[in-house]
Amino acid sequence: MTVLSLLSLPLVALLLSFCSSTVVASSDYHENLLLHPLPQSALLASFNFRSNTSQESFDQQHFRYLPRALGQILQHAQTKELHLRFTTGRWDAESWGPRPWNGSKEGGTGVELWAWIDAPNDDEAFAKWITLTQSLSGLFCASLNFVDSTRTTRPVVSFEPFGDHSEVDQLHLLHGTLPGEVVCTENLTPFLKLLPCKGKAGISSLLDGHKLFDAAWQSMSVDIQPVCSPEGDCVVQIEQTVDMVLDIDRSKRSRSNPIPRPVPNDELVCDTSKPYHSGDTCYPLGKTNDKAWSLGQVFGRNLDGICPLADTEGSHEESVCLQVPHERGVYISQGAQEIKKDDGFTRCFKLAPSTPFDLSIPQQTVNVEVPLDEPVLHAERTIVGNGQERGGMRIIFSNPSNASAVDFIYFETLPWFLRPYIHTLRATITGRDGVSRELPASKIVKETYYRPAIDRERGTQLELSLSVPAASTVTLTYDFEKAILRYTEYPPDANRGFNVAPAVIRIVDNVHHAPIYIRSTSLLLQLPVPDFSMPYNVIILTSTVIALAFGTIFNILIRRVVSLDQASALGATTLKGRIVSKVVAIQDRFRGKATKVE
Amino acid sequence: MYSRVSMRAWSLTSPPGNFPHISNPRQDTLLWSTKHVLIMTTKTGDQGPPQDLASHADIKSSAKSAPPPETPAAVQTRFRVIAAFWAVIIFLGFPIWWKTTSIYRASLPIEEMVDWADGKACRPVFPLDIHLAAPSMQLAEAQHLLRTTQHTLDDLNEFAAHHLRLKLANDSTTSYGESDLGTDVSGEVADTALTVRLLPQEDLVGPRSELHAAATQLDVFYPPNQVPAPSSSNSPISKFIAEELQGLYGEEKATIAHILSGHTAGLASTSPQLAEDISRRLRRSMKYAETYHLSFSLFTPGSMPSSWDIEAAVKEYVSPLLKALSPISDFTVDTQVQLYANFAPTAPKPEFDEAEAAWTLRKEDLSAFVNAAEWPLNPSIGSGPTINFILYVPEPSQSPLIVKENRASSWIVPQWGGVFLLNPTLSTDKTSESNPAHLSRDALGPAFMTFSHQLLTLLGTPSTPASLPLRLQTSIRIRAATLLLSASSTMGSLARLTESLPSIPIPATVATSVSTTISHLGSTCSNLREGRFGAALASARVAETEAERSFFEKSMVGQVYFPDEHKVAVYLPLLGPIGVPLVVGLLKEVKRIIAGRKAKRAAAS
Repeated sequence: MTVLSLLSLPLVALLLSFCSSTVVASSDYHENLLLHPLPQSALLASFNFRSNTSQESFDQQHFRYLPRALGQILQHAQTKELHLRFTTGRWDAESWGPRPWNGSKEGGTGVELWAWIDAPNDDEAFAKWITLTQSLSGLFCASLNFVDSTRTTRPVVSFEPFGDHSEVDQLHLLHGTLPGEVVCTENLTPFLKLLPCKGKAGISSLLDGHKLFDAAWQSMSVDIQPVCSPEGDCVVQIEQTVDMVLDIDRSKRSRSNPIPRPVPNDELVCDTSKPYHSGDTCYPLGKTNDKAWSLGQVFGRNLDGICPLADTEGSHEESVCLQVPHERGVYISQGAQEIKKDDGFTRCFKLAPSTPFDLSIPQQTVNVEVPLDEPVLHAERTIVGNGQERGGMRIIFSNPSNASAVDFIYFETLPWFLRPYIHTLRATITGRDGVSRELPASKIVKETYYRPAIDRERGTQLELSLSVPAASTVTLTYDFEKAILRYTEYPPDANRGFNVAPAVIRIVDNVHHAPIYIRSTSLLLQLPVPDFSMPYNVIILTSTVIALAFGTIFNILIRRVVSLDQASALGATTLKGRIVSKVVAIQDRFRGKATKVE
Repeated sequence: MYSRVSMRAWSLTSPPGNFPHISNPRQDTLLWSTKHVLIMTTKTGDQGPPQDLASHADIKSSAKSAPPPETPAAVQTRFRVIAAFWAVIIFLGFPIWWKTTSIYRASLPIEEMVDWADGKACRPVFPLDIHLAAPSMQLAEAQHLLRTTQHTLDDLNEFAAHHLRLKLANDSTTSYGESDLGTDVSGEVADTALTVRLLPQEDLVGPRSELHAAATQLDVFYPPNQVPAPSSSNSPISKFIAEELQGLYGEEKATIAHILSGHTAGLASTSPQLAEDISRRLRRSMKYAETYHLSFSLFTPGSMPSSWDIEAAVKEYVSPLLKALSPISDFTVDTQVQLYANFAPTAPKPEFDEAEAAWTLRKEDLSAFVNAAEWPLNPSIGSGPTINFILYVPEPSQSPLIVKENRASSWIVPQWGGVFLLNPTLSTDKTSESNPAHLSRDALGPAFMTFSHQLLTLLGTPSTPASLPLRLQTSIRIRAATLLLSASSTMGSLARLTESLPSIPIPATVATSVSTTISHLGSTCSNLREGRFGAALASARVAETEAERSFFEKSMVGQVYFPDEHKVAVYLPLLGPIGVPLVVGLLKEVKRIIAGRKAKRAAAS
């Protein structure tokens, strides 16, 4: 039996926030999935898995929900709080609105890791950090072992611990990024193995590497932090999330025939109001949100019941939620229950324990759209300039709000071979009228924390506290110089360019208190690349020159200078001299003839 | 070079060989002369003296004139030039080249290392001190009994390296053997392996013995009338005690003999069954380490059971054992619960056996039981090996699961860990059967008893005697012997390696490690000889660690694969063109000197 629900109750839109309430219990497990269709025929799927382990059993190494491998790594490296992110793709904030989880569960392109480590001093903290990255590298099949001192920073104001830490710990925050890391299936497999139900039951059974890494944007995160209740009972909380934006049309392609093919003429969606519309001219219409889709089609799998470990008591019983207007019809599998929230856009499903669940939305024209918030800030970062010696960085912040200024912290780490000139930092402000005027950077930048790079030891760390006035766009620029690397420091594909880690923007939101994070895209920096056969050429050339010079000088010093006839007299006595004089004679006969002809 | 250039200039214009054939010599000479002058100007005076030019007018007459002999000063200069070049090469270039390309090889005591490996440096002996306490006997009687028992024991012993030394308890004056008894606290005294208490008991026909399970004590009850007379050379009691002791230490003796003899033949008297047991146990047991990580895992293919009363089970069954084992090694314990753990796709599936009414696994398939690819059994972080204990709860549709051949539910994976199949009572729902959601401490009891037994086996503890402290003492001696041999053989391998590969560097740290190893091996050997087995084990541990560190030194392997072709490719472009003129110059000079000597000698004669 299927349930067709057709209700049109446009109510106040409220975005769900699953984890707003942190429940402290000794040992429990929760999982849920939020499906949110976005404009341009995209679908945001947010998977969240959260479990708690009591501090005592964590200390005694009795692992139940917390994976043993990860728990032991944390204990070995004395890491109190850990955040690990694997991200690919770009979040299209202009079409899709604000980021899921306010950006707090995503990282920059590639892999990003930051952790609070308990250590008596900086050097020991760094040693433990290296242990941590080496161990995590093995666990997640990622190149985290390449996070060395040049890729590690210690941000001052950009990150705050989420967990509750005891006063006695001397915590050190270390942050590392690998912008060039290609996140793929080999990272998803260990990620799923960390879950208690291992991708075999519950919502995690939907996760499939083929679909996840085919998404327009995806982010996997692992967060571990201690959470304490006011009474002082502490638990170690592990939260894993997977967020992905799937293109519904692309995902519905069958896996056996995944090659995209042109749409036949008669299936093109054209704007027929255009005067030139005819059989061979078409003005394509934008993608609409009324397409039909189902879980099985989009994810390529069915949802295999619920994970029996998940806490089914209390308010978190609905493990799958969908955000479409209530007027839209939704078919669900037998045994599942639908619960509609009174915001008019959210409905959740209570699944039957062991039967597969599918959810299907038919094609339907709807009048109401789920409202999307406007992001608080748009940010964009690019490398400008030409030539192989110098370049410039340009960062554009635009504040869409007409009423209030936005305060934020801009944090970037630059590799050591990119040497910024901070004195060239300039700010340009552009209002809605399109007139841009230059103003001193100090008008925009309220505070600066700058730690210059040391060649081959550490990168540049720049944290700026900025304020962008309402309805304006601020462009920051600075110049930089590109260093020339040593011959062995170039990677095999040096001409591809060098990755520069994304910048992190932390918006201090006084209303919501929880910070909003935005990350720019990563950049490719072209460095001057030498001819890699150079050392051999140098060896050969210098050897030849030295040999030539040496031979000449040596011969001058040891040879005896005589006149030609004397030489022939001397030479005629030896066999070699005779041969030489014969050869010379023959040569000269030819030349002599030539002269005569002349 | 220069002379060559000038010769070319001359020959281009008119070589002397051509001259006679030209029909009009005068004209030609004239022509030639002007040409020559022209060339001379372009050559800017790199030719010979001007009189050379003047003499060309009558070149015909002077064509074959030999140059004047070189002045001794010129010869001397040339000699000095060549000598200077070669001196720079030999005294400056060569040492720099040697210095910059040589490999640092610290000197190792190769002979000593080989001696250790060959067993020449130390012959390990295991003298066990056994205290005899006879509170109800006269001193003379007791001493006599001790002497006769020792005599019988020595007669029975066939393995000289392992012998028992009897001593009277609490009486240093009557100590038997050469060992000097100091104060107990100094640590210089030998460990007491066993205390034998002689207790008279009236209603006995012959002597009987009782071994304490939790202490190193053997009670021997004897009928009072059998106390040997001082005159008799033999008595039933001493014979009995000797045989008892022989029996207690029989397995240990066989094991040590097996280890020392290099895993071939043990003692002649060892039964084939016992020899097989010993060699199997030695094969199964883990390599000795200072720290072992014990990892207990609950695996189940479904979702139930998802929790277990592990804290209580560890506390009850594992902790007491670990406390007893703490003198030998340190242990850490971690546990995990893993659901949805399936068999590997290639592993053979369990089959249903009608006769047994159970699902069975064949014995030869047990090696494929653990799905190493998917089950998260990665070793614990930190130094030391991990011993895995797996509690597997089959899914209800495959329960009960047993081993086909012997209906066993547990087995040991050699040098890795143990597996226990737990078939809990299924709770029957109205539709289906299911495993219980929680495993209580009682349900875990049999499994953890098995695990503790498996742990002892994996640590190489012998199966006899019944007393655990005695077995642990035995284990200390076996470990010490094993470590001594393994560190010695590592020394031998290192010596052979450094001798067979002359191109590998030997850093100073390796030399330090080697000397530490050798000194600790020496102290192990002397501690063993004096019966201080705990101290012997401690030094053997240090020796083993240092030996492994020196053998696996990273910087030693780096240069092994640096081929000579690379050196040739780098040196040849430079050394070829430079070397040839140098060598030719040297040869000519040598030839000249020899010719000069001959001429001088000829002139002298």
